[in-house]
This record gives sequence, C-alpha cells and structure tokens, in this order.
Amino acid sequence: MNSDSYFQMILKEFKKHKMAVFGVFAIIFFALLAFSAPLITHLTNVSPNDQNVFNRYLPMFSKAAINNNDAEMRLEKYLKANPDVVKDIQTFQAKHPDYIWDEEVEEWPYDFLYFYSSIDEFKTTAKNSPLDGVQELVDLEKSFYRFHILGTDELGRDVLMRLIYGARISLGVGLFVAFISAFIGYLVGIISGYLSGTLIDTLLMRFTDSLLALPQLPLLIVFAAIDITKLPLLEDLVSKDSESFVKMIIVLSLFSWMTVARLIRGSILSVKEQEYITAAKAVGSSHLRTIFQHITPNIMGPLLVAVTLNIGNSILWEAALSFLGLGIQPPTPSWGNMLFNATEIIYESPSLAILPGIFIFITVISFNFFGDGIQQALDPKS
Amino acid sequence: MFQYIIKRLMQSLLTLLLLSFVCYFVLTLMPGDPVDMMAAGNPNITSEDMQRLKSLYGLDQPAYKRYLNWMGTLLSGDLGFSRTYKIPVSDILGPRILNTFYLSVFALVLSLLVAVPLGVYAAVHKGKLTDYLLNLFAFAGISIPSFWLALILILMFAVKAGLLPAGGTYSVGQDLEGFALVWDRIKYLILPVLSLSFMQIGTFERYTRGAMLEILNSDYIRTARSKGLEEKKVLFKHAFRNALIPLITVVAISFSYIFSGAIITETVFAYQGVGKSVYDSIKSNDFNVAMVSFMISMIMVFMMSLLADIFYAVVDPRIKY
Amino acid sequence: MRLLFITFSLFFTLISAQAAEKPLKIGISQEFETLNPLIKQMMATTYIYGFVNRNLVTMNEKGEYIPMIAESIPDFENGQAKFITENGTKKIKANWKIKEEAKWGDGTPVTAYDVKLAWSTALLDTVSVGEKKTYSQVERIEIDPKNPKHFSFVYEEAMWNYYQLGSFYLLPAHLEKKVVKEHGEKVEGYAKNTLYTKDPTNPGLYNGPYLIDELKLGSHLILKPNPHFYGEKPNIKTIIIKLIQNTGTLEANLRSGSIDMVSVLGMSFDQALSFEKKVNLMNLPFNVNYKPSLVYEHIDLNMENELLQDIKVRRALVHAIDRKKLTLALFEGKQQMAYHNVAPLDPWYTDDPKKIRHYKPSKRKARKLLEKAGWKLKDDGFRYKDGKRLEFTIMTTAGNKTRELIQAFIQNEWKSVGIKLNIKNEPARVFFSQTVLKGEYPHMALFAWISAPESVPRSSLHSSSIPTESNAFSGQNTGKWNNKQVDKIIDELEFEFDSEERKNMVAKLLKIYTDEVPVIPLYYRSDVSITPEGLKNYVLTGHQYPNSNFAEQWTWETK
Repeated sequence: MNSDSYFQMILKEFKKHKMAVFGVFAIIFFALLAFSAPLITHLTNVSPNDQNVFNRYLPMFSKAAINNNDAEMRLEKYLKANPDVVKDIQTFQAKHPDYIWDEEVEEWPYDFLYFYSSIDEFKTTAKNSPLDGVQELVDLEKSFYRFHILGTDELGRDVLMRLIYGARISLGVGLFVAFISAFIGYLVGIISGYLSGTLIDTLLMRFTDSLLALPQLPLLIVFAAIDITKLPLLEDLVSKDSESFVKMIIVLSLFSWMTVARLIRGSILSVKEQEYITAAKAVGSSHLRTIFQHITPNIMGPLLVAVTLNIGNSILWEAALSFLGLGIQPPTPSWGNMLFNATEIIYESPSLAILPGIFIFITVISFNFFGDGIQQALDPKS
Repeated sequence: MFQYIIKRLMQSLLTLLLLSFVCYFVLTLMPGDPVDMMAAGNPNITSEDMQRLKSLYGLDQPAYKRYLNWMGTLLSGDLGFSRTYKIPVSDILGPRILNTFYLSVFALVLSLLVAVPLGVYAAVHKGKLTDYLLNLFAFAGISIPSFWLALILILMFAVKAGLLPAGGTYSVGQDLEGFALVWDRIKYLILPVLSLSFMQIGTFERYTRGAMLEILNSDYIRTARSKGLEEKKVLFKHAFRNALIPLITVVAISFSYIFSGAIITETVFAYQGVGKSVYDSIKSNDFNVAMVSFMISMIMVFMMSLLADIFYAVVDPRIKY
Repeated sequence: MRLLFITFSLFFTLISAQAAEKPLKIGISQEFETLNPLIKQMMATTYIYGFVNRNLVTMNEKGEYIPMIAESIPDFENGQAKFITENGTKKIKANWKIKEEAKWGDGTPVTAYDVKLAWSTALLDTVSVGEKKTYSQVERIEIDPKNPKHFSFVYEEAMWNYYQLGSFYLLPAHLEKKVVKEHGEKVEGYAKNTLYTKDPTNPGLYNGPYLIDELKLGSHLILKPNPHFYGEKPNIKTIIIKLIQNTGTLEANLRSGSIDMVSVLGMSFDQALSFEKKVNLMNLPFNVNYKPSLVYEHIDLNMENELLQDIKVRRALVHAIDRKKLTLALFEGKQQMAYHNVAPLDPWYTDDPKKIRHYKPSKRKARKLLEKAGWKLKDDGFRYKDGKRLEFTIMTTAGNKTRELIQAFIQNEWKSVGIKLNIKNEPARVFFSQTVLKGEYPHMALFAWISAPESVPRSSLHSSSIPTESNAFSGQNTGKWNNKQVDKIIDELEFEFDSEERKNMVAKLLKIYTDEVPVIPLYYRSDVSITPEGLKNYVLTGHQYPNSNFAEQWTWETK
C-alpha cells in the first residue's frame, strides 16, 4: 500500500468529522496565541504582569489610564528624545510658576513626570497654550490610556493578556504531560507486551491496574504538596519561577501513563500474532529491531489518540489542582489559578471566573474532538 | 466463584497495605507538620512549646516508626486521634462516609438513568441530527471543569434564582422529621449531584452508544432481524442486554473518578463528606484523618470493582471463574 | 380606643418577641476544633469561646482591660495587688474574686478550684497545651478554703502588666477533676477523655451567656442561652455558627440567606471590599463593618545580609514604596498605613513627626540614596555595584491573596527605582516554622505580628531574641536586629510602673526604629465583618479578644 494514499485516506475520513476539524482549528488558534504571546506583548506594549492598581476589577470593554510609573517612564523617554518639547515646557513653566507643587522639584521638566498624577490640572491649563511642545505633550498623554477588552483583574492587570499567557501554561502542561506519559506508557507497554506471559509482565500490569483503580485526585493532592526543590536531583534543575510548572508536569505525568501502557501492550499482543512479525523473527531480526521497525509504526495511530486525549485530561487536572490552590503559583498566570483567584469575587466580577472556565472548556473539548476524529479516521467502522 | 471472591479480597488487602505505606511515606514528605501549623496561626508559640508538642505527639520519630505506630493502633481497632480537631477520627468520619455514599450513589444512579437511554437512542438514530447533538452534549460533559460547573450552578440556582441552598449538607437548627427531613437532604444534594454527574453522563453515554452500535452491527442481531423479530424486542432483549456488559466495567472504573470528583464538589459546596476531609486533612497535615479517609476511599473503589466483576459474571453466564 | 391600644401593644410585643426568636446564623471560613479550653488552638475556637465561656479579664473595643468573670482587676491603687519578696526575688501577688453569681451552665457555682484545676492541668507534661507560658507565669495559686470565690495569684516576675498574664479559661472542677485524675498521667489521656470531647453539649462545661445545643466539628454548632448566666440575659435566642471554608461559597450563602452574617474570620479583605460595593449599588440589607486592628503587616529585613546592612539602601527601599497609594489602591484606605510596629489602637501609638521619622514616598529620593550608596543604573533598568545586581528575594505565605497582591505591587515600585525583587512563597506552615522562626530567609519576609496593646516588644526587637542554634531558635527577632539602645529601653520598660514614663520610653524606641529601618512597616490590618441591617449593638474589637465576648448585648432591631 502506498503510504501517501493511506495518509490521504485518513485525512479524508478525518475531514468527515466536523467537530474534529473544528477542534483542530481551535487548537491551532490557541497554540498560535500561546506561541505569539511575547510578540503580542511587544506589539501592544501590554504585559500580563503590568499592574494598574487604581483600576482593579474593571468590566469588559473598559478604558483606563495606565499606571503612573509607566506613564512617567514613557514621558521621560519622549522628553529625552525631543529637546524642543522640553524647551517649550520650560517656557510654559516660567509663565505658570504655580506648577511647582512641591519643594522637592529640582530638575524641571523631568520632575514634572514625578507629579504625573496632576496631569489633569496641567492639561486644563495647557489647553490654550500656543506652544507646540506643550500641545504635543498633551497629545502624547492621550496615548496613555489603555483599552481592556476583557477588563482587568485584582491588580488591574489586563485579563486578555493573562488569558493569552495562561494558554502557554495550560497547553504547555498538557503537551509535556502527554508526551512524558506517552513515553513512560510506551516503555512499560512495550516491555510488558514483548515479555507477555512472564513474571515481569504480570507485575507491571498488576501495578498499572492498581494505579488505574486508585482515585487520582487525593494522590495528586498529596504529591502536589511536596516541595520538589528539596529533592536532591531536581534542586539544581528547577528555577524559582518555573518550580510549580515543573512540579505540575512531574506529578501529572506520574499518574497518567497507565492507559497508554495498556493500549501499547494490547496492540503489541495483537501485532505479535500477525504473520509479518513471525516472518521478521524467522529472518533473524533482533528483538529491539522488531519493536522499533515493525511494531512501533503499527501502533502510532492508537498512541496518537491516547496522547491527544491525555492532553485534554492534563489540562483539566492542572485546572483542578490550581483551583484547590496546589497548582501553578501566582504571579504566573494559568487558567486554573486565574479561576481560583476569581472564585472569591465571582458574584461581583463574574467574567473573571467565567472566562478562564470557557477557555479551559474550549481547549479540552477541542482535544477530545480531535482525538475522536483520529480514532474514527483510523477505524472508520466504529 | 466464592474462591474467586476470597482471592480478590486478599489481593485487595495486600494492595491496600502496600498503598497505605506509600501514602504515609509521601505524606511525611510534605513540608511541615501539625505543630508547625500552630506556629503559623499563633505568634506567641515559642520554639520550646513546639519542641515539647512534637515529642508529645511523636512527630520527632522517623517515618517508618510512626507508620508502625499508626498501623498498630489501627489494627487494635482505634482509628487514631485527629490533630486538627483533637477528637477521635471515628467521630469525624463516621457521618461523613454516609454523606459521601449518598452523594456518589445518587450521582451514579442519575448519570446512568440519563446516559443509558440517551446512548441507546443515539445509537439507534446514528448519523441523525439528534445523534450529533447528543454527541456534542457528551463531549461537553467530559470536557467541562467540574468545579467551574459547580460555581456556575451556584451562581444560577442559588444566588440568582434563590431556588436551592448554595452549600452545606442539611438545614441546621431545624428539627425536621419524615418527609420534610428527606426533602431537606435532597435539596442540598441536587446541585452537588448535578455537577458531579455531568462528566459521568458524557462518559456513559459514549460507551453505551459505542457498545450498542457494535452489537447492532453484529451478525447475531442481523440474524434476529432477518428472522422477522419485532424491532423493539431486538433492541431491548438482545442488543441492550449485550451492550450492558462493557458498560459495567466502565461504571466500576468510573467509581474512582466519582470519588475524585467528590473531593472538588464537596469542597465547593461545603458538603460534609469524606472527599472534603481528604482535602482538608492533607492541607492541614492531619495524618490520621488523611490516612483513614484515604483508606476508606480505596476500599470503596476496590469494593465497587469487585462488585462489578461479580455482576459481570451474573449478566454474562459465559464467564467462569 | 383602649381596646385598640391593648391589641396594638400586644401585637407589637408579639412582633418583638418574634424578632428575638429569630435565630442569628453566622458564617465563618476557618475551622474550629474541640472546645476544651486548654487544648484549643484555633482562632475560630477562641471566637466560639466568647459565646460559651468567659475568662477572668478581657479587653473591650477601646483596648482597655475589663473584668469578666472576676469582680474587678486587682491593682496597686485598690490594694489588691502588692509586691512581695520571696527568696530575694521581687514578685507580685494579686487577689482575685470571682463574681458571686457566676455559675456553670448546670447551676454549680464557679469557684477558685476551677481556676486551680485549669492551671494545674495545663502544667502537666502529658497535656498538649500550646502556649505554656500563659500558665507557668503564675507561680502558685492560693485559695481560702472557707471562701472559695477568693484566690490569689503569685506571679513569678514583678512586671507591670501582671493582670494580663495568666488570663486563662477555667475548667469545671465538678466535672473535669475526675477525668484529669483518671487519665492525666497517660500521654494525651486527658485530651482523649475530656468531657468537652465526649459530651460537648453538657451545660456544666460552660459559663458564658450561651450553651452548646448541637456541635458538629467541621460543620456547624448551635447555641442556646444559658439560664444560669450571671450577666445580662442574651437577647438573641438561637445562634448558629456555620463553617464554610470556600469563601466564594460563603458569600453565596450570605446572598441566598442561608447565613445572616459573616464574622471577622470569614471573608478576605478584598472580597469584603467588592461585596461592600455591591451592597451600596444594589441596596442590599447588609452592613460592612471595619475596625482597625492590632495586626501589623510588615517586611522583616534580614539585617545580617550585606546589601541590607547599608542604611541608605534600607531607607531607599522605604522611600520607593508609596504605602499611602498601596492602602488606597488595594484597600480603599480602609486599612491604615503603618509607621512602625505600634498600632493606632494602642495607647503607646504616636505618629508625631517630631517624635518619629516619616518617609515620604519619593522615587527620586530613593534613586538618589541608591546612587549615593554606589548602585548605578544599567541599561537593563536595574542597578549594579561591582558587577552585582541590586536584587532581593521576598518570601511570604503562599495562597494568601492579599500578601501576594502586595508583593506584586512592591515588585513594581522597586523596579522603577532599579531594584529587582524575586518572589518565593511557601506554604504557611513551612514559612512560619522554618523560614521565619529560624530567621532563614535570605533578605525579606512579609508577614504580620499580632500584638496586644502595651505589649513590650521584647520577643521581636531585643537582641537576645535573635533566634540562634544556641537558644534553640527561641525568640522572634527574626530580622536579627541588634541595637544596644533598644535592648536597654526594652529591659527597663518591663519594670516601669509609671504609664506616662512608659509612653516616653516607647517613643524613644520608635524613633530608633524608624531611623534605622530594621523593618519596612506596611499597614495595620483591619478586621472586617458583614452583618444584617437588623442586628444592633454589634461592635468589632480589633484585637485578639473576639467580639463574641459581648454577644449577650447583640440584638435584633424591633420595628
């Protein structure tokens, strides 16, 4: 069979599943969003940690003045680049000596920046000033307003931006966990499947089954409460900022490889019986070669399905643990901890809690549809 | 059959024992202990006070010794003493086990009652719009974060509409009897059960549909149909009964998911169950309560899977042990 | 006409009777535990204790000590307290008298033997008492067997604040004495067999205005009036206290009417602020009550750190934080900015700029100070000296939202003067037991001290209280500030019996404190509680003695 046409056949089947196609697009959208987050910050000049404490809990679609520090910095930059404006302002100041509000003013006009909060007063007086530089400054000041499409949170941070950066964490956790658990599951499954019938197989499968039977959340809670930086191996590897992220990945990976292992083992058992493997063995192919050259390509499909479903599940688990306060630690935004922070004020600012929930929901459902689509494409009968 | 059950029970017991040690050990890896917690709430506690209490509680001993001590008292029938509440563990957990039992059983029954008919309906109407919509619904169930759903339910039904209580286990301070008492308990159960069942409904619906489809496509049903049997009879007498078998396994496995879900649901709804005490005790480092609630949840899960296996044997006479 | 009047008045009495019958449902978000007064540790249990049990003295909302179950507070003026000298040490002996009418809930009179039982049981090695000092500072108790309402405390040290010491709850001797006798020798034997655990609704265990009618740990309790209470008869006939840990659910319960009010151990400050806005906007029938408290939020600086040893850097740190803006922006001015460790509620408080040093919020000044200290700004926006970046790590309790907000705020403020701040938070139990109590944080620790009015800051400021290996980490001078002058003031303060002179000494101490900046003061926390509009005579205390100590005065408004 031509592999190209095989792929096309699958693609054709996959396209029939409308929701799966939607899922793929949604995933691509979120992935792009997550990937280009720094670029978005660069372009819009809004970072997820920019605070604006006088504009907390703003509703959706509101406009707010940026915080004083940022405004001062921008003004300073502008004035340093435009000495003409500085000159104009000095003239203006000479006419209005009452604009020195405090004895601490020393180096006008830079000190003007320090009293940025009085800008409104300055604006009214400067309105009719014939000096271009003063007008320019007033115009510049207009750009110091920021539009918050989805409002602001408890520190006046832009919610949209935090959601975008949250996508990085949620998708990151999902992908890492899925791949690590796929790897562990693959190893366990292959060993178990290849050695089927032996004691090792029995032990491994018993272990896998009992882990599967356990209620996961209590275990996750216990493991998430451990301080991983105290573990000797990880001490040097983990930086302060990424500690909770790495911990989340490790903890979730520990408890999500079992389904993959079962699946791989099952596939190997069925593939093992097929003729071509027996043939390969007869030719004298080594065990490892048999596994990698013949068995692995045949189980790629089910593996992909399992990985996809695992991504969705891991995102849900991360959110659940963050919701219990054991997940990603602030100030790093994750959808889970944004939701956790917002539960307290859900009645005053419901959008803060509803939005991350919707993001989680759409992402998880997209991965689930995607997995379902692949499954159907691979096995059109079901 | 009897021998099989005994064998399974022994296996479960061994697994429990092993797990209890692992859990205990992991708990000791958690930073701090109950005495440290006291220091957090009380600036007047001196280091001498802490040292004295630690040796009084035996917290200065190595983990394995503490585990053996704990196992010893457990085997003598004493569930131990809660460090948080400073009362015997059995006093705390007794009523909570029942509460969690109500919650999970209601959630399980509700999700089966909703999911199975929907699954059968979807399978029979495969490819139609209703099937499509039901599929969407099922996926939504699997993908929705349950705690979020719980919050939205509270927001809608308790705060905005004022129809149901926002949280709790039952109305405090009212001496209710008979039907009023039952209704009161049910009122407090509706929202938690709803939020807990939603995910299970999705899972069960998809499994029922899948199993039904497989059987409807099988030769055996085709034969039955070709024999001219009534469609209803084909569906319920032949197809549905056979589809039930894979569902039982799913239900047995789902019990551990329900229990995990119960932790979150009980926490959000302030419902007095074992799930909440698992979370609370782990957070407050209350070893004895954590270990006992943990063991209870394991036992519940093991019992369910054993029950499922027995049920399996009853439904499918081909299986012999 | 007269008939009408009678019907009317009857009608009104009926209504008011009904109003009094209406139960008060209080929501709390913190766990409570067994109600044994010796073993209890949690704040919520102390809150509940205000309803059901009373101790010798308590503090009112003005911060004054007032007698509760004691007739009066013994002092030198009324002759009930005097100095005695035993074996060459100066001690204080104070005569107490228990109120004549004071009875336990089952009618048994409260006597000095109840005091003695509590004291002697707490001193047993087998009983897990938290703060042993509360009991051990009373050296012995003398009882007149002929008049068991009278007794004397002999305090082991002669300190002016003797009457605040040894203010513990009593144990009912008629019920608990035999338990102590039988089980007291076994480790935790008393804790496991006390009637407070075995039979918590026994009225004989309580002497407060209310008795426990029903108790479910981790869930709720129901209180009913104590018919034998010696004081004012409680107005509200049923009080229900419900535990709802999830603060979001707590608020949902308040809004849907499942609870009537939220105590001070309920909502977070931020949540209460948002709730208040909603109350004003929608005219909800609630009052949001604030009361400045004695809780002092601050940043302890590790004075052994090289960077922080430079006073210019420390002063620059304070100048760079606009604390006024912080309290305005985050707390809408409802929590007061702090100048130092003494809270406004305390008689020792002063904010006189002649007595203490004020730090104006000024980024410019901060920058200048840093320049002078040799920290030069580089292109990345941070300051460097000898190739090293001006960088600090701040630690606090993980999950405390307000503190996390403050950290983020300060991080931003310092960034604008070129200081990099790293945040590393730990779970509360680790943070306090390891990091704070052992002084192990690298630069800064953000947390709060809960103090009492006129409490001598020995344990937090005296150099002998620096936690070290050799003193088994006792003492809470975790910033390791070592100032001889301060040591001297503290040593003298404890034994200064003139209250005006004490004030002057404290002002001197605060001058040094604000000059040297061993600690960055942030703000004094406020207590916040939400009550229904109809509840009257509800006053917050703002200190460690909860307002439930005055619960018998609460009443439903009758219209």
